[in-house]
Amino acid sequence: MELESRVTPDYGSGQKKLSIYIIGLLCCIALTCLSFWVIQSSQFSKWAMFGIIYSSAFIQFLVQVICFLRLNTQTEQSRTNVLSLLFTIVILISIVIGSLWIMNNLNYNMMM
Amino acid sequence: MHGEVMNIDEHAIYNDATDVFGFWLYILTDCILFASLFAVFLVLNYSDMPHGPTLKHYVNLSDVFIETMLLLASNFTYCLSILNMYQKKLLKAQVWLLLTFLLGASFIFIEVSEFIHLAHEGFRWDINAHASSFFTLVGTHGLHVSIGLLWILSMIIQIPFLKASHIVMRRMTYLGLFWNFLDIVWIFVFTIVYLMGAM
Repeated sequence: MELESRVTPDYGSGQKKLSIYIIGLLCCIALTCLSFWVIQSSQFSKWAMFGIIYSSAFIQFLVQVICFLRLNTQTEQSRTNVLSLLFTIVILISIVIGSLWIMNNLNYNMMM
Repeated sequence: MHGEVMNIDEHAIYNDATDVFGFWLYILTDCILFASLFAVFLVLNYSDMPHGPTLKHYVNLSDVFIETMLLLASNFTYCLSILNMYQKKLLKAQVWLLLTFLLGASFIFIEVSEFIHLAHEGFRWDINAHASSFFTLVGTHGLHVSIGLLWILSMIIQIPFLKASHIVMRRMTYLGLFWNFLDIVWIFVFTIVYLMGAM
C-alpha cells in the first residue's frame, strides 16, 4: 500500500475506485432526471419547483466533488485544496448574491 | 545509486504536487469568471422582466437533457480512462479517452446546432441584453469544453509516445480536474439558465 502510493501519487485527489465513480454517476443521473421531471410536470407550485431544482443542483455539486474530484481531508495537500475551494465559494456567493441584491435594490428605488 | 534515484523521484513528485495545486487554483479562478457571468445573467433576467423575446419560447428542454447526459457520461468515461492509466493499461485508457472525446464532441455539436436554431428563430445575441448574457454564459462554457476536447485529443496522441510516465500522469490529472470542473459548471448552467428559464 505504501509502495503503491509512492509509485502513483494522487496529488491529494483521493483514492481512485470504480465503485465510487459508479455511485456518483447514478446519483447524478437520478438527480438530473428529477430536476427535468419536476419542470416538465406541472403539478408543483413555483416555489416548490424552485426549491427542488436548487437542492438537486446543490446535491449534485456535492456528489461530483466527493465522488469524482475525490476531495477529502486525509492529507495536508487535500486539506489545502478543500480550504481554497471553500474560500472560492465564499467569493462566488458574495459576487452572485451581492450583484442580485444591489441591482434589485436599484430596480426598486428607480420604480416610478 | 538506488537511494539517489528515489530522491529524484520524490523530488519530482513533490514538484508535481505543487503544480497540481497551482492548476487547482487556476480552476478556482475560472470559477470566479463563471460566477461573474452567472451574476450578469441573473441580474439581466430575473431582477426585472426582460422586454422582447425570452429564452422560454425557443428552448427545447429535451436537447438540454441529452447534453447533460452526454457530459455526465463523458466525465465517467474519463474517470475510467484514468483508472486504466493507473493500472498501466495504456490501450484501454486510450479507448476510454477516445469515447470521452466523442461524447464531448456530440455535446458541442448539439449546443452549436441549438445556437444556430435559436438564431434562425429570432433569438439572436444582439437583440437584447438578456440574449447577450445567455449566449456569453453558455458560449463561454462551450468554449471551455472545446478547449478540453483539443486537450483530450493531444493526450490520445501523446500516450503511445510517453507511455505511463509521471509527466503523462500529471497531465491526465490536470485534464481530469478541468473536465470535471466543466461538468460541475454545467450543473449550474442547466439549472439556472434552462430549467429556471422554462419555469
